[in-house]
Amino acid sequence: MQLDIVTPEKIVYSEEIDELTVPTPQGEISILPEHIALVTRVSEGELTVIVKGKTYYLAVTGGFLQVQKDKITLLADYAIRSDDINTQKVLEARKRAEETLTKKREGMSERDFAVAESEMRRAILELKVSSKRRKHSNIPGQ
Amino acid sequence: MATLLSLKRRIRAAQNVSKTTKAMQMIAASKLKKAQDATLASRPYVEKVSLLVTDIATRIEQKDFHPYMKTNSLTGKSLIIALSPDKGLCGGLITNILREFFAVSDANKDASYVVVGKKLEGQVTKLQNEVLASFHFGTTLPAFGVVFPLIKLIDEYYLSEKVDTVKVLYTDFTSIFSQTPKIVTLLPVTLPDTSGTGEKGDQNNFSLFEPNVSGLLPDLLKHYLEMTLFQYFLESYVSEQASRMIAMQNATTNAKDIITELQLEYNKTRQSKITSELLDITGSKRAEGAQN
Repeated sequence: MQLDIVTPEKIVYSEEIDELTVPTPQGEISILPEHIALVTRVSEGELTVIVKGKTYYLAVTGGFLQVQKDKITLLADYAIRSDDINTQKVLEARKRAEETLTKKREGMSERDFAVAESEMRRAILELKVSSKRRKHSNIPGQ
Repeated sequence: MATLLSLKRRIRAAQNVSKTTKAMQMIAASKLKKAQDATLASRPYVEKVSLLVTDIATRIEQKDFHPYMKTNSLTGKSLIIALSPDKGLCGGLITNILREFFAVSDANKDASYVVVGKKLEGQVTKLQNEVLASFHFGTTLPAFGVVFPLIKLIDEYYLSEKVDTVKVLYTDFTSIFSQTPKIVTLLPVTLPDTSGTGEKGDQNNFSLFEPNVSGLLPDLLKHYLEMTLFQYFLESYVSEQASRMIAMQNATTNAKDIITELQLEYNKTRQSKITSELLDITGSKRAEGAQN
């Protein structure tokens, strides 16, 4: 079945896949071919895509999922493949967000605080997803 | 004598104009690149969101409809949101927008308006209509925050049923050389006409909603509204920059042409002046020689 992951910035993923696992507010759901038509929210977390026995990971920060016959569309606010995560950059981003959150707490608008907080959450999520990928790629023979 | 001086002045004026237009062209070109990237990147997303919304609308029952979807014709009024640039010097863009704007206002006599951009701000007061708000468009890439005050206004008027429809006038960016002002209906969400398409099998498809329709739809529609509106801003912005770039490019070329022509005339005048002076000198010499 075809999976399209689209964000406002770009089309992140568009390939034929065998299985998809997404986090939703009700818990994780897996979608296999011939799944019933479904529309649901996607919550922040990790996506697992299985293509021909190989597992790929993506970080997603929420959005909407639509399953039609053999076609899945995920409209995400932000999504990134684990391969594309630049750990160095993410660590920097987390540090920046951390600093903003701790130092400038007073005299900061609510909006700035929320932005820093969401950046922090995103950084933590990306680190989690990318560390997973490394663990997997360390297994011999893969 | 005076012609030489005045020609020189005109050349200098044309040179200054060409410098200014060239600079404006380059500014627009650099802004255009960024704007074009942003606009084209979010287009597929917005398309998919509206597809999803219309798809859901065909699958749910009337009782589950969100207020954004209802087709209540109570007042017959519309709310028109018109987007225009803040600054001029962008070719025929503003003229085209104004033409479309007045066509729309003719068709919707008792509409209320929200205008964005200084270029429309002055024009809308000519109409005897209610202007709810006027925003500036800004001269940089619109930030997502611009949609929130607009959506608040839309909610206020649409959900309290003061207006039936919400329409947006924006400029659609087809290419660098072509931008067309367009009027679209933002609300209510337009349902696709399924009567003649023969897609009945698809329509009967049962669709599962998690957690349920009423839990999902408000969020989705809100998101749809924000994204679509923002896309209109992006399209308008990129159109403005493209149009300005082309206009300024033409202006620079014209100024260069004028400079060439003036330069030629200047040289000719100068040459003819020298020739006539030489004639004077030789003439007087001859006269002197004849006398001796």
